[in-house]
Amino acid sequence: MKDLLPFDHRPDPVLGNALRRALDPGDATAFVARVLARAEQLRAASWDTVLARWARAGVAAALLIALAAGYLVGHASATPAPQPSVADALIAPPAHPGEVEIVLASVIENP
Amino acid sequence: MADAGAPLPPSPTPPPPSQPGQPAARIPGQDEGELVARAVAGDRAAFGTLVDRYAGVARRVARAVLGNPEDADDAAQDAMLSALVKLDQYDPRRPFGPWLLRIVSNAATDRRRRRSVRRAEPLDVGLTAGGPRPDVTAERRALGERLRQALATLPERRRIAVVLFDVEGYSHAEIATVLGIPEGTVRSEVFHARRRLRALLADWKEEG
Repeated sequence: MKDLLPFDHRPDPVLGNALRRALDPGDATAFVARVLARAEQLRAASWDTVLARWARAGVAAALLIALAAGYLVGHASATPAPQPSVADALIAPPAHPGEVEIVLASVIENP
Repeated sequence: MADAGAPLPPSPTPPPPSQPGQPAARIPGQDEGELVARAVAGDRAAFGTLVDRYAGVARRVARAVLGNPEDADDAAQDAMLSALVKLDQYDPRRPFGPWLLRIVSNAATDRRRRRSVRRAEPLDVGLTAGGPRPDVTAERRALGERLRQALATLPERRRIAVVLFDVEGYSHAEIATVLGIPEGTVRSEVFHARRRLRALLADWKEEG
């Protein structure tokens, strides 16, 4: 090792090698495998999150559609039947044919 | 320290040529912009290449900050995964190494702060006081232990600076990018760290 000037711009190989050995982290392969496995887990988790978000939206949309359909069906059944028109009443067969004949007879007999 | 995704200073100067015996740990980064682009697009092999390429330096920097190898690996892993999430923020015109190592040093520092809150961790003092020298076969291991202890007495920024400069071969300008401090401050940090560590090595030699 040499006495370097302050702010020497050259790396010190002796100190550098000693520090490198002191900080040697060991098995690099295992570390890389660990990081990549964790990255895969994060990717899968992010997809789960996306799917879960879409699932929530889907359930909400289905509920809205069901509510709308229920409202429409209920509204349709609650609507009153249309009143028969005069023409309908004249065309329709009489409910009590005898009464009509009596009325007609009385009109004919009393002009 | 600013966010690692923030715009970085102008591209740093290349490191000086390697000296004989110098640990040539500097990682070439010619194809890293392309690797990052592929990783952003979901190419797992590209991300794997980046992790493989930077695992060593990331773990060493984290260990310089944290001391404990398990904590250091956890911090390095967190940083790698954080970098994966932020990859789309990386500017491919800048060198990748300093960008990543800034995330690593932030992750290690954050972990150390959280750990300090959980338990007060007294620093070892009197590290250069000598003591009985272990047998020759354990010499290297013992020296490593004393160097780690000596590193632990330095401020974090100083540790990172000396490791990146003397171990990893990064330039002062690149280290300034990593630490978010002026280049002159990096020079000062490296100088003070070296003085402390060299004293330890000198004592070790004298004891031998």
